[in-house]
Amino acid sequence: MSEPVNAESAVLQKTFELRILRYTPGRDEEPAFGSFQVTGAEGMTVLEALQTIKDTLDGTLSYRWSCRMAVCGSCGMMINGTPRLACSTLLRDLPPGPVTVEPLQNFPIERDLVISVDAFVKKIESVYPYLIPKEQKTVAEGPHLQTPAQMAAYESFSDCINCMLCYAACPQFGENPDFIGPGAMAMLQRYNGDSRDGGRQKRLDTIHGEDGVWSCTAVGICSEVCPKQVDPANAVNQNKTNSAFDFFLRFLRTEQPQ
Amino acid sequence: MTFSTREIQKRSISPIFWLLFGAGGMLSALFGPALILITGILAPTGTGLPENFLSYDAALAFARNPLGKLVLLALIALFFWHGAERVFLTLKDMKAGSSLVLKLGTYGVAALVSVATILLLLAIGF
Amino acid sequence: MNERRPYRRPMPGNWWAKPPYRAYTARELSGVAVAAYGGVLFAGLLSLSRGPESWAGFVDFLKSPASLLLHVLLLAAVIFHVITWFQTLPKTMPKMIVNGEAVPPKKITRIATIFAGAMSLALVFFVLGAAQ
Repeated sequence: MSEPVNAESAVLQKTFELRILRYTPGRDEEPAFGSFQVTGAEGMTVLEALQTIKDTLDGTLSYRWSCRMAVCGSCGMMINGTPRLACSTLLRDLPPGPVTVEPLQNFPIERDLVISVDAFVKKIESVYPYLIPKEQKTVAEGPHLQTPAQMAAYESFSDCINCMLCYAACPQFGENPDFIGPGAMAMLQRYNGDSRDGGRQKRLDTIHGEDGVWSCTAVGICSEVCPKQVDPANAVNQNKTNSAFDFFLRFLRTEQPQ
Repeated sequence: MTFSTREIQKRSISPIFWLLFGAGGMLSALFGPALILITGILAPTGTGLPENFLSYDAALAFARNPLGKLVLLALIALFFWHGAERVFLTLKDMKAGSSLVLKLGTYGVAALVSVATILLLLAIGF
Repeated sequence: MNERRPYRRPMPGNWWAKPPYRAYTARELSGVAVAAYGGVLFAGLLSLSRGPESWAGFVDFLKSPASLLLHVLLLAAVIFHVITWFQTLPKTMPKMIVNGEAVPPKKITRIATIFAGAMSLALVFFVLGAAQ
């Protein structure tokens, strides 16, 4: 008979090295890397490694997280140079050797892995991120009905969790921080693509400038890094087509935008 | 909390260049390989095409035909506008110069070639 | 320690030359080949307008090994343009809904690329047939 297996020792333990970009405002002139050796379950995520560091090695390490299951969009960071969610990135899936962890590219760093999100939230607010009903109906008149095909037209865009990985992947956002960017455009298309919505023109008017869709050069990496397969590049580029037609068709429009 | 709205930005004129770029891109994607194969490889080597395919009279007849003129203008102008947009954006990515210089060197060339093509097609006559 | 002083990291100046952006830059530069072929056509039109002798010079150029090499390179670059063009196409279209479901972008790319290949082949056979 073999020895009874201890549940604790059944979990394979492994040591990983994490190189983390650290920055404390008021103390550091500029960010610099700090290195940590973390021992934990072989199958642990980058987020769990960060939590282990904060619990046992350095309590000052700052990062955002919440759900641990890739739905809240808080723990986006650059892992080995690629924007990813720390909670859904397993250390064992990364190439052997030290793992580099940095705050999301293209955003101002507040502290360690925490970035400023104010400008992104403003952009989301700017595209009227809510249904503007095409026709007003009373409760007695019943709901606004939609077929599965009408829903399929915008469904993927409603899956966005605002994690901003797409912004970190977008070089044109890096060059022009005022560019509306992929995430907010996915939000815009989520409503413009909705058969019940009547705010299309209003939203198109917010993105027809140089900082609107026209800063995009269809690099397309935003869609590749999206953890929810939202395809924000499609949201931006189909609205280039819409905005280009609007450029010429506005002369034929009779009603003026409100 | 109230929703802040972006100030409505001035409308960009990029759609003009973008549509020209798109038209040239689509035209070259559909027919580019065939055209290069015919005029650049098959015709000069006489492969599958008769000797008189590249004769002066045949070329002149094509350029004097109104439909032929339209085809030549569409191909030359749109191919240049397509290249102009892509090269402009790439040079901008590379920060190769001021926006005005880059625009003159790309859109400017495409505009010049377009006008010259129209003039040449008119000069060749009907 | 509690003050706010957001630090903005500069973009590396050569981001366009590094993966994953390198493929995008290569795709954009295929536009040079498209414009260059437009340039060949323009040169032909220019020499045509200058009379038979000038046209003969252009045809001599077309028959030169340098021109043949140039056109083989242009052909390769434009085929690269065709492939990447239709990879980008689904991004610029509204979602295609068939039987209540969105058509996957890869399927759109495949169908459009095959269609473009057929168009080019049809043009070659049309010209070869008409010239006989």
